[in-house]
Amino acid sequence: MFWRKTRAAIERFHPVHQGLIWQRTASVTLPPAEWDAVVASLARHAETVKRRKWRLPDRTVAVLVPLIRVLCEDVAPKGAIGITADLRGPKVPEKTGPSRKFPGRGRVRNITEWFAHDPWLAVRAELRDGSVLELTVTDRVRYRRIHKVNPRGKHKVKTKSKAVQRITARRTLQPGQEVRRPGSPPPRSVGVRIKSAKRTVISATAKLGPAPAEQDQLQWILAVATEPFRWTPPAATVRRTA
Amino acid sequence: MNPCAVTTGFFVLGRCGRPSVTVCRCGRSVCARHVDPQGQCPECAAAQAYADPFHPGWARGYRRRYYEQSSGMYNDAVWYSRFDSYDRGQFDAGDGFDVGGYDGDGFDGDDGNDWVDS
Repeated sequence: MFWRKTRAAIERFHPVHQGLIWQRTASVTLPPAEWDAVVASLARHAETVKRRKWRLPDRTVAVLVPLIRVLCEDVAPKGAIGITADLRGPKVPEKTGPSRKFPGRGRVRNITEWFAHDPWLAVRAELRDGSVLELTVTDRVRYRRIHKVNPRGKHKVKTKSKAVQRITARRTLQPGQEVRRPGSPPPRSVGVRIKSAKRTVISATAKLGPAPAEQDQLQWILAVATEPFRWTPPAATVRRTA
Repeated sequence: MNPCAVTTGFFVLGRCGRPSVTVCRCGRSVCARHVDPQGQCPECAAAQAYADPFHPGWARGYRRRYYEQSSGMYNDAVWYSRFDSYDRGQFDAGDGFDVGGYDGDGFDGDDGNDWVDS
């Protein structure tokens, strides 16, 4: 059997890591210490697994690992971080919507259009100040398949795609936690909604078009997640008087 | 024994406050949990530029850059100064060491700005 040693090495990885390799998905709630173990397992991937087919999805290293590191800083040791990541991409059948066919004109025979709805990341973290942070990232991709015929009767089919992304960050405060309006509004791309109740909920939503590049993805998620935290005053640093 | 003076957290900033085991070269007291193998505090260790998110200290090194970037994006100098004053406060002798304690100072109500849906 080929890749026997690599397969054996993968079986020694953390179960969440194995899920990202085989299914390219992960849905689990763990305390920070256990997430550290997952990240330590993921760190060994590149040196252990050389087969292209079994490499980690790009967003694992670009988004998932840094996000786990950031959230582990804010969650108490007994707290929990729940992550549902579906890194299979928008082309899987479950994420694809119905297609529509439009008649063409001239050399264009027809145009087929469909949309893919890809909610690839959902995070829930119980922060150490008692609030709960929820993040979701959803890609919406429009596909257009254009069928053309040139004057010599040669057929050409071309598919184009256009992705937009929606990032939401929702922070549910502890009962009685104070809320303070920040001095400046968020950028135009970020909308904010406050729901005053026993537990105030601060939601920020950004619709990005086109979807950010892989290397900018984390920065955008954290940027949207910033808004709910601007609405609460910082933890007081109590100064002792001698 | 001095309490650990390391700033903890990313969005929710706090102070460690555990009993320190050593003093970093910057003069900051550091506990066993936050000291690195070279005896440095996380900020001094992060200054050596951990670009790899697999490194346990990556988030602490990235934190200052995040606050700079988000402060610029939101055009909110207060947001950055919140982190900066907190981080500088570690060097204040006699400072209080609360572990992520929270002490709000009130809600100033709706002042008519129309950028919030409530």
